[in-house]
Parts: sequence; C-alpha cells; structure tokens
Amino acid sequence: MTRRDLLIAAPLAVAGASIEPSAGFHFTGVTAQAGIHFTHNSGAFGGKYLPETLGPGCAFFDYDADGWQDILLVNGTNWPGHHGPRSTLRLYRNNRDGTFTDVTRRAGLDIEMYGMGVAAGDFDNDGFPDLFITCVGQSRLFHNTGKGTFVDVTHSSGLAGHEGFSTSALWFDYNRDGLLDLFVCNYVKWSAAGDVYCTLDGKRKSYCTPEAYHGSTCWLFRNLGNGRFEDVTASSGIFDSSSKSLGVAMLDYDNDGWPDLFVANDTQPNKLYRNLRNGRFEDVAIEAGVAFSEDGKARAGMGVDAADFDNSGVTSLVVTNFENEMLGLYRLGRGGSFQDQAPGSNVGRLTRRSLGFGCFFFDADLDGLLDLLVVNGHIDSTVQGLETDARYQQPPHLLWNRGAAGFRDIASEVGAGFATPKVGRGAAFGDFDGDGDLDVLIATNQGPAYLYRNDLSNGNRSVRFRLRGTKSNRDGIGAVVRIQLNGQTRSRMVKSGSSYLSQSELPVTFGLGRSDRAERVTVAWPSGRFEEFKNVAAGSYDVVEGQGITKK
Amino acid sequence: MRWYASPTARLIAGLAVTLASVAGFSWYALDQIAGLRALQTTAIDRNRRDSLQLLRIENNLNSIGLAMRDMVNGDEPYPLEAFRSQFARVRRDLDDALRLERSLAPESLSPSREHYFRQSLSQFWTSVDQMFALANTPHGDKQATELVRSSLEPQQEAMSATVARLLVENNLTEERAAARVQEIYRRVERDVYLFLAAALAAILATSLYLIYSNRRLFQRLEALSAQRSALARKLITMQEEMLRSISRELHDEFGQILTALGAMLARAEKKELPSGFREDLREIRSIAQEALDKTRGLSLALHPSILDEGGLEQAIDWYVPIFQKQTGIRVDYRKSGRGADIPDAVAIHVYRVLQEALNNVARHSGAATAQVRVEFAPSKLCLEVEDHGSGLPARPAAGARRGIGMVAMRERADLLHGVLAFDRPAEGGTRVRLDVPIIEEL
Repeated sequence: MTRRDLLIAAPLAVAGASIEPSAGFHFTGVTAQAGIHFTHNSGAFGGKYLPETLGPGCAFFDYDADGWQDILLVNGTNWPGHHGPRSTLRLYRNNRDGTFTDVTRRAGLDIEMYGMGVAAGDFDNDGFPDLFITCVGQSRLFHNTGKGTFVDVTHSSGLAGHEGFSTSALWFDYNRDGLLDLFVCNYVKWSAAGDVYCTLDGKRKSYCTPEAYHGSTCWLFRNLGNGRFEDVTASSGIFDSSSKSLGVAMLDYDNDGWPDLFVANDTQPNKLYRNLRNGRFEDVAIEAGVAFSEDGKARAGMGVDAADFDNSGVTSLVVTNFENEMLGLYRLGRGGSFQDQAPGSNVGRLTRRSLGFGCFFFDADLDGLLDLLVVNGHIDSTVQGLETDARYQQPPHLLWNRGAAGFRDIASEVGAGFATPKVGRGAAFGDFDGDGDLDVLIATNQGPAYLYRNDLSNGNRSVRFRLRGTKSNRDGIGAVVRIQLNGQTRSRMVKSGSSYLSQSELPVTFGLGRSDRAERVTVAWPSGRFEEFKNVAAGSYDVVEGQGITKK
Repeated sequence: MRWYASPTARLIAGLAVTLASVAGFSWYALDQIAGLRALQTTAIDRNRRDSLQLLRIENNLNSIGLAMRDMVNGDEPYPLEAFRSQFARVRRDLDDALRLERSLAPESLSPSREHYFRQSLSQFWTSVDQMFALANTPHGDKQATELVRSSLEPQQEAMSATVARLLVENNLTEERAAARVQEIYRRVERDVYLFLAAALAAILATSLYLIYSNRRLFQRLEALSAQRSALARKLITMQEEMLRSISRELHDEFGQILTALGAMLARAEKKELPSGFREDLREIRSIAQEALDKTRGLSLALHPSILDEGGLEQAIDWYVPIFQKQTGIRVDYRKSGRGADIPDAVAIHVYRVLQEALNNVARHSGAATAQVRVEFAPSKLCLEVEDHGSGLPARPAAGARRGIGMVAMRERADLLHGVLAFDRPAEGGTRVRLDVPIIEEL
C-alpha cells in the first residue's frame, strides 16, 4: 500500500469498518439532456395481445463508422384496426459532445413495423453496420448505404417469407467464411386472429403465459455473400418446433475456435448449440447442464450473456428468468458441464424476486472484473392487484463483482434514479461519450428509454479495441481479444446479440484498474489468424486484421 | 436416640426413574422420527422425484406429439428430415429421464406396466427411424407423413396414457404414504402426552419426597442444635461449678492449713532453739508462706471470689489492674452505669469473656495498649475489648488450633442469649463486643 492509499484509507477506517466500500463510479441519467426523447408503443389497447408485453430492444452501434457510438431504439406500432400516434424505431446519431440527433427519417428508417429487437452487423463487409430488426410478422433487414441511409433489403436478401414472433437475433460467422450469418430467435406461434383468451382473476382478459401457445423454431440464415441469405435452419440442425426462444448469446464454450450458441427458452429447455464445424449444430444443453434449473425445471429464460466474468479462463453464462426462479449463473466446470452458481450464492437471493429481461456482463468500474447488469419488470401491470409483493415496475440489479467476495447489488448506490423501478426489457452498454468507461442504455415496455452516463471517480483506466477484419468478417465478430496484466489473463469476445432484444457496442473494453498499460494483447481472429501486441498503453485502439494496431 | 434413614437412596431411585423414562422416550421419539424420515425418503420423496421424471417423460411425449402434428399438418416450411434433430434431442432427454425414473420408481408400481412402456418406447423409436428413412427417399415425405399419422401418433398416445397411469399410481402411493405419516404423527402425539403425564407424576413424587425429607432433616438439625446448646451450657456450668469448688477448697482448706502451719512455725520460732534449727524453721515458714500465696493466687485464678462477694463490676475493677501488671499492657478501662444488679449466672460468663478477650490481646495482637469499655444498663450489659494491634488473621495459620477460646466465648454468649461480635476498628486491630440482655430469672 502506498502512502497515498494509506491516507485515503485511514479516514474510511475511522469512519467505521462496517461501511461498504464505494463503487467508485456513478450512473448519471442524461436521457433528456442527450436529446433522447422516446416512448415505446406496444400497441396495447386492452386486447392483451401477447407481443405487447415483451418489447422493446435497443442498441449501441456506430452506424456512420465515425468511431462514436450511436443509439437505436426499437418500437412497436398500433395493431391493425386500432389507431394512435404513429410510432417507429428511432435512430440517434452521436453528436460527439454528449448529445444525439434523431436521424430516423433522414436515415430512411421512419417505417412502421411491430419491432421487437435489433442486431447490427456488417453483413456485406462494406465498413458500415447493417440492421436486422426482429418483428412480430416479417422481420426486416436494412442495408447501410454508408451515406447515412438504410435500404430495406428484406426481399432481395431472401429473408422475406419468414414471418413469426421474432425476438432476439445475432450476427455471427458460424462457418468462418468471413461473412456474417444471421441467427433469429422466435418465441411462439402467435397471431392476432389466434390469440388465446387467458385470465388471472376470472373476469378480465390478461396476458397468457407461453404454455398457451405452440413453440416456434429459431432460424439460421447463411450469408451467401451476394447480398442473399439461405435458410439453413433445417440442414444445420437448429430446427426445433418446440422452442420458445427469447435470448441468444454467442460463445465458444469448448474453445475450439468455432462459435457456439446459447438460446434462452421460455418454459422450454434452453439450448446450447455446439458448432460441429461442418455447418451443423448439435444441442448439448442437457448434457452440459444448462437446459434446466438445478432442480430440473425448464425456467422462463429471457435474456442471456456469456463471458469469463471471474477471469478464470472459462466461459460463464447468465440467464434471466421469471420471478421466484432467480437468474441462472452457469459456470463451466471440469468435464465440460456447467453448474448454476446462483442458488448457492447471494446472486440467487438478490435476484429471486425479480422478473429479469436484459442482462450483460461489463466492467462498470474498470477494475478488471466483469460486473453484471440485469434489468427487470413484470409482464402484466395487473399483477400488483393479485400478488402482495409482486410489482410491475422493478428496479434493476447492478451486481458489482468483488472477486472472491462475490457480487453485491449496488444499483441503489450508483446515482439517483438508476434504481428507480422500471418495466425494463432491452439493455445495452457502450462508451457513447468516448471517455473510456461504459455507459448504459435501457429500454422499457410502453415507457421511455433511459441513457445513463458512467462518471468514473476511482481513477481506473481502460484499454479499448475496435476490430476490423480483413479475411475475417469486417466487424471482427467472433474474435477473442485477451490481455495480460499482472500475470492474469482477461478475455473478451467481439459479439453481436446477448442481453435481450438488444446489442451492445462491438469494441471491447478492458478495465486496467490503476495500471496504465496491458503487458500483452492477443487477438484470435475468426479466420484463424493470431496476432500479438506488447506493452499496450491505456486508450482506444483500432486493430486491423493483419495490419497492426493504431491508437485513436 | 431415634434412628433417621437417609433419603439419598430414594432420591437417587427417583432420579434414575426420571432419567430412564426420559432416555426411553427419547429413544422412542428418535425411532419414530427415523421411521418417519425413512418413509419420507424412501416413499414420499422418492415418489415425488419419480413423478417429476414421469412428468418430464410426459412432457417429452407431448413435445413429440406436437412435432408430429406439425409434420402431419405441414405447418413448417421444412422437409420432414428437419425434425430429425428435434426428435434426437427429445430422445436423449427421454433416455435420461427414463434412466433416472428407473432408479426412483416405487417398488409398489406394477413392473409389467414399466416393462410394457419400455417396449413400447423401443418400438416407437424403431418406427421413427423407419419414418425418417422413408422421408429421405425421393417423394417419401407423403409415405412418412402417413406413417406418422397411422402408427407413430397412436403409439405416442398409448405411451402418454401409460405414463399418465403411472403418475396416477404414484399419486395413490403418495397418498397412502401420507396417510401412514399422519398415523405416525397421531401415535407420537398421543405417546408424547402419555410420557409427559408419567414424567410429571415422577417429578411430582420425587419433589414431594424431597420436600418431606428436607423438613425432617431441618427438624433433626434443630433438635441437634438445641441438644448441643444444652450440652454446652451444662458443660460450661459444670466447669464453672467445679472451678468454683476447687477454688474454694484451695482457699478455705489449703489456705487454712498453710495459714495454721505458718502460725505454728512462727510460734516455734519464738521458742529457744539451736541457732541452726531456727534458721531452718524460718526457711520452712517462708516456703509455707509462698505455698499459701500461690494457693490463694490459684484459687483466685480458678474463680475470683470477688465475683461472688462484690459482683461483676468489682471483679472487673480488680482484674484489669492485675492483667496490666501481669502482661505490661496498658489498659484504658472505662465503665458507665452501675453493675450492682448483674445476676451471678451472667457475671461469671461476662467475666470469662473479658478474660479470654484480654488474653487474646496479650497473646496475639502485639499491641501495647488495650481498651476495655463496660456499659451497665438496667436491661442490658455491653462489654467491649479493643486493641489496635495486628488484628484477627483472615485465615488461621496452618496447624493452628482454630480458636477454642473464641468458640467458648460464643457458647457463653449463646448461654446468655447475647450477641458476640468481632470486627476491625478503623484504626486496625480487633474489637470484641458482647451484648447481653439482663433478665431477672437468668
């Protein structure tokens, strides 16, 4: 301990040993001052249609490739035959001064659709991320022209004719051909005409649970490289008509360099699709121990993320579930099977009463340990009249990773308003103000979006990498970046998807703590190329496959 | 003397009976709990876990049923082959559930039904394989769909029905086990009340006997104490009588003889005697006088005649200067009131207490001075002897005789219905205080 640390620590020790240490950062609500004025329209008119309860998603992505994270907020619309104010998704361009400009109309995205989620990826490797908006009905693929506009290429890409109740989606290069393929989750077979009548109190219609509907398979679309996609759902082994999928995350749980997928299912067993490296997948969720809860129950899986949160070198999974189910925190153990850490730790106790949706691992305080954000909210506002302790609006959990001391929920300590109960759904992170720490975007059902700026006060530094593939897909999705610091290795995967209906920024961020540099940085590209850089100082870098590293 | 039996043996017997009944009941209760636990573990819990696996099997069968419906209805835009991986996943989960179910199935369930189910499932998977083989042939989808409709769906329904029946059997087994658990609870509850009644009776009997024994013990102690006091009084009185008698004998008999002997020797001296013989006679007379003096001194020491003649006050007045002379300890003697009416029976004991207290000052205190205060009042007498010497030791030295004199002082105080107190004055040393009520008949 240095003399300075001692001087800082002494008054704290005098103040009382029982006082928990400060997290060293604040989330400041900046939604309005940043120019984000958005309200989600679920189309709810009293008919209690199932899709109304589940949206929307949100995203941090750099649509104009200027190095500053822009924001996309997905929106629903009014049901046919029901009129109301026009509602569309919103694209906000980053003004690089902490504010955003609504460019939805200018970008050609001022289109009504019943949107649910978003996946952003540069499927044609032109340097500009394209958008896939999942919808109830026909989902849409928008090609980014690179001139600030998007063009709907759903039909020309071959994705038309796939109507469903699509939820989360992600871009990944499952066959490692350098082209981003598309995975789409579908929830259940639902249509307004076939909506089932359910009731909680025997008098009024309420939202049904998914048991009332038949499942629906996820889709996998292979990128043919000519702007078209081929439906390989059946041939890849992804097809499963019993799935009721809400969240998807990419990971490489078997460390073979081929991307695997974890799919969270609602009231159905989760899926862990192992990439067989031949264009096919095999569901190994049961054998891997992630299909069910510890007591063998198929839970209501919603959001999901995968990361090495304890810097142990193995991937862990987080899955949000229904209230009274607690989230699943699956850690890969020896023998290739996962164990749920939540029931035996305070993570289970902290999250048991919450109904979780969006979730992700991120290093909020840049101390090198991945923290966990979970946004919550019930599906039906009438629940408050029926259950004494259930709340429609619920506070998020910000589980601060304290290493061996476990997680502590500090949502109520990191700034006024952050822990305000919300009907949370989508959630994403990204460094929108370019200060090296990670800010948070939360989307709520039938409510506003929330942008929280991370104001770090603990003096920690970070090193950030934006990857550009040349042989690999241009976004570098699937690349694994590792840094070595003080003899410890930390890793991040560049990934699309994760969380719930949402996408976080593609650049990867490593917290360095008080260190000012990483001793060694390696990048394992999806193409198989491996690169190494030494003595990398804190800051933001562009890494181009085969062309080295450049500080921004 | 009457013989009193010790209650210890009976009390030990009572305690043993109580402990034995507690131990017996504890064993019984533990045995019942173990039985209950065994029943819950082996029957109810196992049954529930088996039911969970059966539900999982049923869920899988339903999932297959739904998939087959999609196949028959042509709801999915994919060829039937697409369902192969879905069937494979369900099959893996079914196999796992069946493996677990086999280890958990209650013995009461019909083995033939289990056997039938496994055979049916095996046939079903054979048919599924045939169906996918057909689907893989050119234009085989129609035939495969027909196989699903005609064979696989009825098989799946039959298996679902079997699993449903197994679940019902499980429920019945669970209900029977629950009834047995309730019976055990009822029996244990009844036995708990019985045991409590028996234990209370045993505790009551032992307690009553303990109270009775205690009362008898205290009565006996009281009698013994009274006997001891009477005996002490008698002993002290007898001792005083004897001392008084010896003193009188010494004074009256030996004193007279020695006085006469001296007178006779004085007279003989006056006669004409050879010079050497006269010297001898004078020496003999001197010895006789010395013997007379010692006899008188001994007589006074054994019982001062002045006590009988002049009373307590004069006896103290006489004794204090003698003590000063004998020991060299200066005594500050103060008195108040008049001591004329002190009965003799009181006077001798007060005098003896004073004697013992002053002797203790001389022997143990190391003090050069002492104070004697006597307060005569019509109804009471108070005597205080105080020194500022080393004081009473907290504990007597090892091997030392524990204050026989002090014991005697206490006995004498008891005889007088008085109170004897030892304390330490602020200046240090010892203060002995005797308070005696003056009662006429005493």
